[in-house]
Amino acid sequence: MTDKKNGNAFTNNPLVRAIGLQKIVVVIVLIALIAFFSAVSPSFRQYSTLLSIMDYTYYLAFLGIGVTFCLITGGVDLSIGTGMFCYALIGGYLITRQGMPVIVGILVTLICGLIMGIVNGLIVSKGGHAPFLATLCTMMIARGLGAIATGGASVTWPGATAPNGWTRSLFKLTVGEIKLPLGFLWVMILAVVMSIVLNKTRTGRYIIAIGSNKEATRLSGINVAKYQTMAYVFSGIFTGLAALAYSSAFQSMAPGGGGGVELNAIGGAIIGGTSMSGGAGSISGTILGVFIMSVLQTGLPLIGLQANYQQIIIGLVLIVAVYIDVLKNKKLDK
Amino acid sequence: MGDVILTMKGIDKSFPGVHALDHVDLEVRKGEVHALMGENGAGKSTLMKVLTGIYHKDAGTITYEGKEVEFTNPREAQDAGIVIVHQELNMMGHLTVAQNIFIGREYMNGKLIDDKKMNEEAKKLFDQLGINIDPKETMSRLTVGKQQMCEIAKAISHEAKVIIFDEPSAALTEAEIEELFKIIRDLRDKQMGIVYISHRMDEIKVITDRVTVMRDGGYVGTLITKDSTKDDIINMMVGRVIYEDPKTESQVAPDAPVVLKVEHLNAGRMVKDVSFELHKGEILGFSGLMGAGRTETARALFGADPKDSGDIYVNGQKVDIKTPQDAVKCGIGYLSEDRKRFGIVVDKTVAENSTMASMENFMKGIFIDKKKEKDTAQEYVEALKTKTPSVDQLVVNLSGGNQQKVVIAKWLVRNCDILIFDEPTRGIDVGAKSEIYHLMNELVAEGKSIIMISSEMTEILRMSDRIVVMCEGRKTGELGIEEATQERIMHAATLRN
Amino acid sequence: MEKIKENAFVKKIGFNTLVLLCVMVVLYILFAIATPLIKTNASFVSYSRIVSALNYAYFLGFLALGVTFVIATGGIDFSIGPVMFCSALISGYMLTLKGVPLLVCLLVSVLVGTIFGVINGFLVAYAGLPSFITSMASMMIAKGVGSVFTKTQSVSWPQSADANGWFRNLVKMKINGIDIPTGLIYLIIGAVICSIILNKTKAGRYILCIGSNREAVRLSGVNTKKWEMLAYIICGLLAGLAAIFYVGAYTTVQPGLGDTFNNEAIAGCVMGGTSMTGGVASIAGTLVGVLIIALLQEGILAMGFQINYQYIITGIIVLVVVYADLRSRRRRN
Repeated sequence: MTDKKNGNAFTNNPLVRAIGLQKIVVVIVLIALIAFFSAVSPSFRQYSTLLSIMDYTYYLAFLGIGVTFCLITGGVDLSIGTGMFCYALIGGYLITRQGMPVIVGILVTLICGLIMGIVNGLIVSKGGHAPFLATLCTMMIARGLGAIATGGASVTWPGATAPNGWTRSLFKLTVGEIKLPLGFLWVMILAVVMSIVLNKTRTGRYIIAIGSNKEATRLSGINVAKYQTMAYVFSGIFTGLAALAYSSAFQSMAPGGGGGVELNAIGGAIIGGTSMSGGAGSISGTILGVFIMSVLQTGLPLIGLQANYQQIIIGLVLIVAVYIDVLKNKKLDK
Repeated sequence: MGDVILTMKGIDKSFPGVHALDHVDLEVRKGEVHALMGENGAGKSTLMKVLTGIYHKDAGTITYEGKEVEFTNPREAQDAGIVIVHQELNMMGHLTVAQNIFIGREYMNGKLIDDKKMNEEAKKLFDQLGINIDPKETMSRLTVGKQQMCEIAKAISHEAKVIIFDEPSAALTEAEIEELFKIIRDLRDKQMGIVYISHRMDEIKVITDRVTVMRDGGYVGTLITKDSTKDDIINMMVGRVIYEDPKTESQVAPDAPVVLKVEHLNAGRMVKDVSFELHKGEILGFSGLMGAGRTETARALFGADPKDSGDIYVNGQKVDIKTPQDAVKCGIGYLSEDRKRFGIVVDKTVAENSTMASMENFMKGIFIDKKKEKDTAQEYVEALKTKTPSVDQLVVNLSGGNQQKVVIAKWLVRNCDILIFDEPTRGIDVGAKSEIYHLMNELVAEGKSIIMISSEMTEILRMSDRIVVMCEGRKTGELGIEEATQERIMHAATLRN
Repeated sequence: MEKIKENAFVKKIGFNTLVLLCVMVVLYILFAIATPLIKTNASFVSYSRIVSALNYAYFLGFLALGVTFVIATGGIDFSIGPVMFCSALISGYMLTLKGVPLLVCLLVSVLVGTIFGVINGFLVAYAGLPSFITSMASMMIAKGVGSVFTKTQSVSWPQSADANGWFRNLVKMKINGIDIPTGLIYLIIGAVICSIILNKTKAGRYILCIGSNREAVRLSGVNTKKWEMLAYIICGLLAGLAAIFYVGAYTTVQPGLGDTFNNEAIAGCVMGGTSMTGGVASIAGTLVGVLIIALLQEGILAMGFQINYQYIITGIIVLVVVYADLRSRRRRN
């Protein structure tokens, strides 16, 4: 018997193993998608398209990074999409309707995310709820809270030229005539940081261990509940960040929205090789996967497929991605 | 042998309905290998779980290094120097070898984990043990034997003073066992106290200094290995249980037809080119060590797992079994080793479980004929002497032996002629055991045929008419009961490539 | 206490269901007292409010009955609400803009739901995908298909007085100026049929057993995939049926909505004693659970609160009820 189970010369190549086969495929698919849209739609080739891809990428990337941690523990966080809207609504409400300083609005948005993360984490780790059910319930609660807090009206964050508009420059900096996608820098920095957290710190190590074998992790004397909660806290904090990115890119939001956004983020993570069954996943893969989602979201309308078609396509993409994940795990079990 | 390092005295532990440990004593000295023996369900693993804080004892004292201790979780025990190498491997398959070994106590470089240092330390550990494993390899890519070595390395790295090996050799090859024994002797020479749990008499004689025997959750006694014989130990293990003598000759008529023929069956890594025949009215024993591929063979034959190749003939007819449905249609029934997972539906009633495999016989139009269902279930409750207040009782409330009878009833209601009994008496108390044996004998007398997979040598020798022995997924021997001895079976069971 | 539980009648109905009935009555009394206190000139005790609450209960009831089967297998279906809307949009569009006969449209509605059930069931049972993510994906697809079909327009079904308005009699019939809640009859008939399927037929037996221990059922030679898929098909079919009762009560459907009903239907289910871990289900319980949810939303609206409170409350209800179920299971083991 050999030590190496299945796999051929290509998949056992050290470089391929280091990067991960799936990521290589995702990059190829991403390039193919961009090439396709560029070929079909002239307007896709413009600089403004890049900016709008980026607008979608920022918040999806933040959501994706956060939910990757949950997925790696073998759980999931469905509250992120609706949650993002809820926090942005509350933060924006405080700034534009209550006249509070922007910084307060930003902090409140982030703190809302943090609190939701803690609540989700505790319900799952201490309450023993199935993560999908627990976070579905908190998703409904977030939906209600966002609407109640703002009195059921939509909220608009300050515009770029408004006195408080500097928040928008955080993600899109205008230098002279050119708009720079500054948010990309923050996404990259945070992706690197969280990648280090995942792979180089105890928290990350134990999160992977829990997803790989929860009982063994517990028997190794690790406080499973604590680290499981941490995964949801990360998800919550990053949802708060996503709320900032979203309000910076799209400015206004209506209560009751955000449902379905979580599937874009989760889909991105799974496309990037994070497994629904836990234990395996990477931040870099999630970022790549999220790019596929945001390129689709930007490109599809340009070839004449509006939002309603996108829902169908993203639903299909999700099913395919999860199916590939299921097949991968079946192969591993052998 | 040095001073006493660990004493467990009068340990008592009950679970709802089971008195798992009844005032058990154990004493371990520095520099000894102390065997803990007993049949399945004797309470060995429970005792060790009490020691390491996985379970909390109801009564008794544990004295370790002169102080009374009570660990509340395995981590505390570990920190104190008592570690356990588990029977089921406790590893995180997605992490590397080194990451697994140092889980929970990573080497840090400021806030970050120092994986380089961990790899080096793991390498040192392996060098010290004289084994060759790459610390950077992903755990799930190693063989079971190598994974076990990692577990041992992990235990040693805890600066353990007492190491408990829970059936370590079960899944190892001969060479790996040799390696293991060398390591254990090294550890003993370093004045560690070692508890060695095993079923295998030969190993006990080779490696251990003293033997403590348990039976039915109770303490029987402690012997010095070199001053006692195998028979002494066996007598203590079996105690009041009167095992009948081994079957001396086959009960099968010489001209009994072949009801099941399996040719060149291959399935995954655990079933390689297995061929055998089963005659009408025969009990065909399947012997072998844990992980020999017996259950896998049964599951592939039954269609529970996919098979790669091989032909199956039932009553001379070639059949294509792809799913359990196909197998059941051919009249094959499978009694799984893991009753709770694969046999019964626990929160359904005895009646509902009994008819599970043959619902179509209990329909009145589109509705279930519940009266007929109950009557039939009642019939089998009486025939098999299943102890249950009524057929409406939920199976979860029955004892292990009676649950097993419900599973048997399920296949009898279906009128299966070929029955595969996988570890039919595992986790069943002694009385129920002999009832199951009795029942099996009755079934073959009625013309049914049984394949019996068992890890208990006495059970194999007592029940089988013929014995197939497997090792590492291959059939390595086939013996008539007349020629079978423990030694010959064991020889075949360790016949590795 | 034990004596009450052992009573033959109580056993038949289910102890849990009786407790729920009491909860419903208490809730009604609470609303009756609280509504005038919180909102001046408002009252809760009136026949029209009961009819209005029942309107909400019909479609939700069918959704919940369907999802009870799926939950009984240990799965979940988050697509029921949007699938119901998708059915209503497609069939309503055909009726109002294409002039297809009403009866055909009603059948199409059921058919669309059934197709989604088949797809969900196939993906979960045969392809082995986790049910929650599969059904969330098909939720997206249902929303998308609905709005693509109607070109993102909302659809209004005929009023009672219109040519094709007779179907509204399924929900409510006006006799001598009094509203007769006919929908309740259909809901009860539906529940009785579901109860028979679940408790008296082979399909129901296998669905429950799969939820309890899938492998044991498979190794008994049962085609578990087929029966598991059937649960999703029943669920989809009932979602299509629910669409008829939705438009019968509320006339207009908008594309892109419907996911809030998922949680309410699931809340009704788990309150009624159906276990999220599978294997245990009660149709009577689901029915009463749904009535409570309907009462709750009527009460919230009567007191002048936003419907958003309903989302929060149902979210909390599910968390609490499922937690209680988990606790009681853990204690038993």
